[in-house]
Amino acid sequence: MRIAFTVNGEGVEVDARSDEMLLEVLRRDLGLTSVRATCGIGVCGACTALVDGEPISTCLLLAPLAEGRQVTTVEGLGGEDPVQRGFVEAHAFQCGYCTPGMILTAKRLIEESPQPSEEEIRLALAGNLCRCGCYVKIVDAVRRAAA
Amino acid sequence: MTDPRVTGAVRYAQDVELEGMLEARILRSPFPHARIERVDTSAVPAGIVVLTPGDVADLGMYGAQIKDQTVLACDRARFAGDPVAAVAAATLREADEALALIDVDYEELDSVFDPVEACGQDAPLVHDRHNVSENDAAYFGIRPQQGTNVCHRFRLRQGDVEAGFAEADVVVEETFRTAGAQHAHMEPHASVAQWENGRLEVWTGTQTPFNLRSDLAGVLGIAEDRIRIVCPPMGGAFGAKTFVRLEAIVACLARKAGRPVRAILERNEEWLTLNRHPAEIRVRLGARADGTLLAKEVECWADTGAYADCGPGVAQKMGFAAPGPYRIPHVSVESRCVYTNLPPNGAFRGYGQMQTVWASERAMDILAERLGADPLELRLQNLLQEGDRYATGEELHDVRFAECLETAADAIGWRESRQGKGLCVLMKGMQTPSRAGIAIEASDDGTYTLRCATAEMGQGARRAISLLAAELLEVDVANVRFPDPDTDLVPYDTRTTSSRSTYIMGRALVDAVRDLKENGRRGYGEVEIPGGLDPDTGQGVASHHWHQGAGAAEVRVDEETGKVEVVRLHASVYAGRVVNRPGAELQNEGSMIMGLGTTLFEAVDIADGQVTNANLSDYEIPSFMDVPVALTHDLLERDGADVHGLGETALPPVPPSVGNALASLGLHVTDLPISAEAVLDAVDRRAGLREVPA
Amino acid sequence: MFESAPEWLAPETLTEALALKAEYGEEATIVAGGTFLAILLNQRFLAPQRFLSLRAVPELRGIEANGELRLGAMETHRAVERAPVVLEGWPGLARTFALVASARVRNQATVGGVLADADYASDPPAMLTALEARALVRSRDGEREIPLEELITGHYETSLRGDELIVGVHVPREGRSTYRKFRSRSHEDRPCVGVAAALRGGSLRVVVGAVASRPQWFPEICGLADGEELDAALGSEIAERYAQAVDPLADVRGSADYRRRVIRVEVRRALEDLVQAEAA
Repeated sequence: MRIAFTVNGEGVEVDARSDEMLLEVLRRDLGLTSVRATCGIGVCGACTALVDGEPISTCLLLAPLAEGRQVTTVEGLGGEDPVQRGFVEAHAFQCGYCTPGMILTAKRLIEESPQPSEEEIRLALAGNLCRCGCYVKIVDAVRRAAA
Repeated sequence: MTDPRVTGAVRYAQDVELEGMLEARILRSPFPHARIERVDTSAVPAGIVVLTPGDVADLGMYGAQIKDQTVLACDRARFAGDPVAAVAAATLREADEALALIDVDYEELDSVFDPVEACGQDAPLVHDRHNVSENDAAYFGIRPQQGTNVCHRFRLRQGDVEAGFAEADVVVEETFRTAGAQHAHMEPHASVAQWENGRLEVWTGTQTPFNLRSDLAGVLGIAEDRIRIVCPPMGGAFGAKTFVRLEAIVACLARKAGRPVRAILERNEEWLTLNRHPAEIRVRLGARADGTLLAKEVECWADTGAYADCGPGVAQKMGFAAPGPYRIPHVSVESRCVYTNLPPNGAFRGYGQMQTVWASERAMDILAERLGADPLELRLQNLLQEGDRYATGEELHDVRFAECLETAADAIGWRESRQGKGLCVLMKGMQTPSRAGIAIEASDDGTYTLRCATAEMGQGARRAISLLAAELLEVDVANVRFPDPDTDLVPYDTRTTSSRSTYIMGRALVDAVRDLKENGRRGYGEVEIPGGLDPDTGQGVASHHWHQGAGAAEVRVDEETGKVEVVRLHASVYAGRVVNRPGAELQNEGSMIMGLGTTLFEAVDIADGQVTNANLSDYEIPSFMDVPVALTHDLLERDGADVHGLGETALPPVPPSVGNALASLGLHVTDLPISAEAVLDAVDRRAGLREVPA
Repeated sequence: MFESAPEWLAPETLTEALALKAEYGEEATIVAGGTFLAILLNQRFLAPQRFLSLRAVPELRGIEANGELRLGAMETHRAVERAPVVLEGWPGLARTFALVASARVRNQATVGGVLADADYASDPPAMLTALEARALVRSRDGEREIPLEELITGHYETSLRGDELIVGVHVPREGRSTYRKFRSRSHEDRPCVGVAAALRGGSLRVVVGAVASRPQWFPEICGLADGEELDAALGSEIAERYAQAVDPLADVRGSADYRRRVIRVEVRRALEDLVQAEAA
């Protein structure tokens, strides 16, 4: 079925199965590889995109439910977003696989809470898993981005 | 130009797209041990490529150290999850649908799921015969016990343990267990294969390109130079992306299809591919009343699952690390690598050391309690010193155990109070022997390209090696390129494991830069590190140099629910020389956090040979909120010291530090992970309410 | 290739949605937020013939208070946890919804969905039961209210009839309430034991979740508190009786024995919280 929505500011229309997830559509039809198939159950956050400004697990969003919505991935941030810069300054990554999800979640946090405490940062990002264990530096990155 | 990790621009193996590529799925045995009677693919539509045991039965066998694997299970499936068939189709959906149309008849056989039981007389044999591999990964004397499930037995003997125990005033004895664990790297295993003019090309997330190439050559019966392995960066590996995983299957599918084929594992399949060795370790430790260690006897059973992979090496490392960084005149170690009908176990960060350090360092605290000694003083009193010979007979240099232990103890205020606090000190070996080569190409524009097989899995080795090259070449690191390793272009390297790469490539670079300065356009350097142990006596050189570290933890326990809160966690690691500081910090922090998972949450749960928690909700890895707010570490350096690998050292000290902290509260645990329920049982035992064994 | 994609039905009124539900029954898979459904689809546990999406049905939206709180079935967890009217009058409920999974899931999962899924480890059902909530349920032929304690009947099973949809939840005004989510492992774990406790008009309800196929409420045990001061001794007694009354399940988060011990502790602590809430 045809599904029309906006991705990183651009209107798109894709032809997808009704039982596919937005994750597959973003990767296959739009070439956005920052969202990654990882756990399939919405617990790791590596497939996070902002949908109408809020973090969503794209592996759990049926493609038709994206109709008419605004989707943002890190490819749409331009590279000089304060959160991206914060992560680079703090060197808050190792393999980089979970990083896009962390960045988008942090971005939303800072929008809602411009001066987040360390505890607030940890709590807001708790649903994003990093097996490399970069949590300490990620908290630092978010603090720098919020400053 | 910003870091590709923050723009999502990193291309992992799963992102490799080739023209006409098909997607693969694997059909797996539902039974832990079964004869495969019949594989019927007649219902699969034409156009879907199917790989059956019949297609691969004539191919060579492979295995990192024991040649015990076939591309697909042919005569029998040896674990629930063993690949029996595979399909490749235009889409994953079609591949899944096709898989469901393959009909397999199995005849169930008796199974064994415990390594100690598997050593028993009547245990069913997982493999009828153990054939040692001839490739480079089988780099030490392997001692398979034919007619049993033991595929390697390592022994270490020093002095006379019975005489030692006879002389001891106090002898403690305890059995410890560690659960299996899943690496849970965020990026699943992914491999892409294509055949081009009779040559196989594979893009795969792997830490071991040359071992892989060698094994594939043996499987396919072609020369190694007819195979090319390209290594995209990995989204984490921690030992799981080693040797042959999906590559043989995709290579065979691609050959049959005449088109490229890609396989990406579903998350649940990760628990069916490679895990960490569960172990049972029995320790007997004897000392004089004044605390001098006299004798130590250790027996290890490492459950290697249905295929050995590098299990013999893990069992060996478990064995040679068992004495610990102490002067002990009489030592006896027996370490067995045992087959069971469970998913294969292999390399996992900390590699054999994690299991043995848990047992050894818990035993030290049990001894301290019996002696009425301070656990810190007991350790300091017995630590190995500069120039001492280790239990393997090798002389130790650049010995820093005391420094590591003291800084860790200070970090948690050990001397102010010991209540709720625990310590650990450890030594970890580095792959020995090994060899590595590196080439440098100079370009006209002033840039240099490194040809190096070191794989990137997030550990920052490429960055560290680039920094070392820049330093030697006297240029800015921005002028040093380090492309993805490609076996067509890079010199041989043993593999990217055991935290060796920065060190050994750093050494090879010195020669390569010298060679480049002489030749102008291209320089090559190589290093060969000798060593090895006699597997029957454990004597020789286990490690060219040792990774040394210590840990300390402070805990609070909710004694009504058994929940443990790690209030403070510290690791002191001897780095020698830090090359890439942020990378080094991340390695310590990451190792400690992974260590916390091993300590408190992580276990591969098995019931009747089936993994029952194969997903990231039932199997928990640490999250932000599980990290102690007070998580600190030291990277100890010394002028003129060698670079010491940091990738793993801070993981093994975490479990014993926490276990010993609990012991200081009278709560004794012997098994990992330390569940809240186990702590409640320990509370009951302390209160004398139960006879439940530890 | 073999199986064509499920039909996607997107009714725009409740009447239309109910008619479709009546027509197709089990052969139409309801899509609310779709999180639980997606997990099942990702693991190939389901192959639906058609989807019935409730996204465009306006009658299922809305969060209002008029003496009682009315939550539209299609409101997300996130909407409930943040709605000013909920925070003001039903703070315990807001906190419970805020504890579910992660913000990502809460941005998508709905009030109706979490009830219809009847997942034993969900948090909201226990709290809603403690707050004496009622599910408003409609079919093409009529409507009824189902008290929460009668809605979930077993493992992933509800008392909904094949042609019924949850359209909303009604919650009487909160008195004092508390929810304790005990995780035995990671902070991100699903609960091992969840305890909801509410005191309204002198009547106590304690509901334990995540320990059995359905939320566990024993009115006769709670009745011990009628007209009595909820002191430490009574709290311990109620907790002890709950621990004996529940036949806990075992899963990766804890054995039955362990759950029983934790129920005893967490019920007592929930009652202590209730008392302290009043003192505060």
